[in-house]
Amino acid sequence: MKLQVAADWVEQPLKAFVDDARAEIAVLMHPSGQVLGQFGFARSVDVQTACALSAAIYASAGELGRQMQGKPFTVMHYAGKARQMFLAPVPIDGGTLLLLAVFGEESTLGLVQVYFQDFQRAAAQAAPHWTGAETALASDFEVELNRNLAAMFGRT
Amino acid sequence: MMGPDDIRVLSDALAADPGSLVFLQLGEALRRQGQLDLAWRVAMRGAERHPQRPDAHDLLARVAADRGDLDRARSAWESALALSPGHPAAQKGLGFLFFQQGLRADAERLLAAAQAADPADASLGAALAKIRAIGADPADADDAAQVRPMAPTPPRASVAIAPPSAQPRTTQAIAAPAPFAPAPADPRDVFAGVLPDETHAALFLDADGLVVAGRYKAADGRDVSADIGAQLSGVSDEASRAMRHLGLGAWTHLAVEAEQASVAMAPVGDGVVLVAAPRRVPLGFVRRMLDRAAERVKRWVESGT
Amino acid sequence: MTSPYATILAGLIRHRGVKGCLVVGETDGLLVDSTLQFGVNGQIFAALTASLFRKARRASQAAGLGDAAFVQLEAENGRVCAVGRGELVLVVVAEPRVNLGLVRVDMLKAVEALA
Repeated sequence: MKLQVAADWVEQPLKAFVDDARAEIAVLMHPSGQVLGQFGFARSVDVQTACALSAAIYASAGELGRQMQGKPFTVMHYAGKARQMFLAPVPIDGGTLLLLAVFGEESTLGLVQVYFQDFQRAAAQAAPHWTGAETALASDFEVELNRNLAAMFGRT
Repeated sequence: MMGPDDIRVLSDALAADPGSLVFLQLGEALRRQGQLDLAWRVAMRGAERHPQRPDAHDLLARVAADRGDLDRARSAWESALALSPGHPAAQKGLGFLFFQQGLRADAERLLAAAQAADPADASLGAALAKIRAIGADPADADDAAQVRPMAPTPPRASVAIAPPSAQPRTTQAIAAPAPFAPAPADPRDVFAGVLPDETHAALFLDADGLVVAGRYKAADGRDVSADIGAQLSGVSDEASRAMRHLGLGAWTHLAVEAEQASVAMAPVGDGVVLVAAPRRVPLGFVRRMLDRAAERVKRWVESGT
Repeated sequence: MTSPYATILAGLIRHRGVKGCLVVGETDGLLVDSTLQFGVNGQIFAALTASLFRKARRASQAAGLGDAAFVQLEAENGRVCAVGRGELVLVVVAEPRVNLGLVRVDMLKAVEALA
């Protein structure tokens, strides 16, 4: 599997995370669904779906947390029988990104948490000031997402 | 080492895109797990789809060698080298194959070329040293000329250490320094004199978990070195990863007390030396054997560089 | 509230050279309880040693050697020992000068109380 990134600064932290945490899938995205880097997907349509669903889950969980406890739920973990999912925010200068990780029996939640902390630190250091799509319209998100996917999968 | 989930992921990826190069990873993972029939099918299909890729022929050759089909392995490695004359893995594979078949000059030529491409590979240095040592001794040359088939990777099976054939030596007996024997003609004999008897085993593994020297026999006499090496080298990988993050420095010894045996490992160069003993053997004794085995391997490797 | 593992951990941390004792979930690598000296990051030790123990256990089974009962790792600046029972792993982090034999015996006794 090959790591694919839409922004150069993403490569090193994401690669370290994937290698250390032994993630089967990892996607770094903006909460709007705009993808910045991915590992583990062979087809762009799968990344697109994962980003869209992750963004929706993160938004829903945030709102659910606000309703239930007055502040948003941020880190999410689902433990399946063979695979587990971890979705958590990555604060950077000027905004917050999301990391979706899927891991199997070669890893554990504890390891993913440890290496996610490393990833957060590395991303915060490496990321330039975010001037992305926070203010863009929904239609622009789609355009931006498709552009990044096309760049990553070599279909520009 | 990859687990069933990794293999499933690779398998799914190949199913989704049969023309992709994932077959290289999948075939190698299956080979390492001893699923040789599946690995063979994956490698064959990959080589059919990608006949111009030397890696595809290299994979086919590795699987063929593990299956004991040395003619096929040789043919596939020769194909890889025809496509890419400097292909290091094919040079190494074919070099070892020639060596096993007693074709010393051809083996030396290929292994020297592979070593030039990867000077850090200790197994190449050791093999070259042995070939050259044999070349200097006509008596050994006769021995080397005998065709010895490569040991195929055994199927995954329950393994137990062979029952004792004799009373184990005392701690005092093994604690006495054993003189370093001349480089043995067979790398499997590198640890001769280090181990007290056949209930003990020692292996030297390279960074990929492949057996470089030593042997490990199951209770039924089968050589299960490749299987044991592949499985246990993953533990040393895990130790290395842990040490990178725990701030305890590099790891120096690792011991696992299992139901059937105690296994101790230590890093040597880029590889790992491993000794195994029945559970009744005290851990301190196992540790002494490990130190001696590590020393033996170091000298064996040094003698070839 | 006192953890059910407090007595086990207190017994082990008394050994000279022991810097930390942890009870960790083997399958998730999460810290269950610990007694740690200052400077020992329990979360990192929990995740990594549980992973090492799990790997050793699986490799041992896959190699036909049976279940791994005790794992010890020596490094330049310290030692880590792990012993498992059920879903839990008891971990000891120690300095190189620790009396490993004594710690091992106590860990094998203590692990009986886990689960």
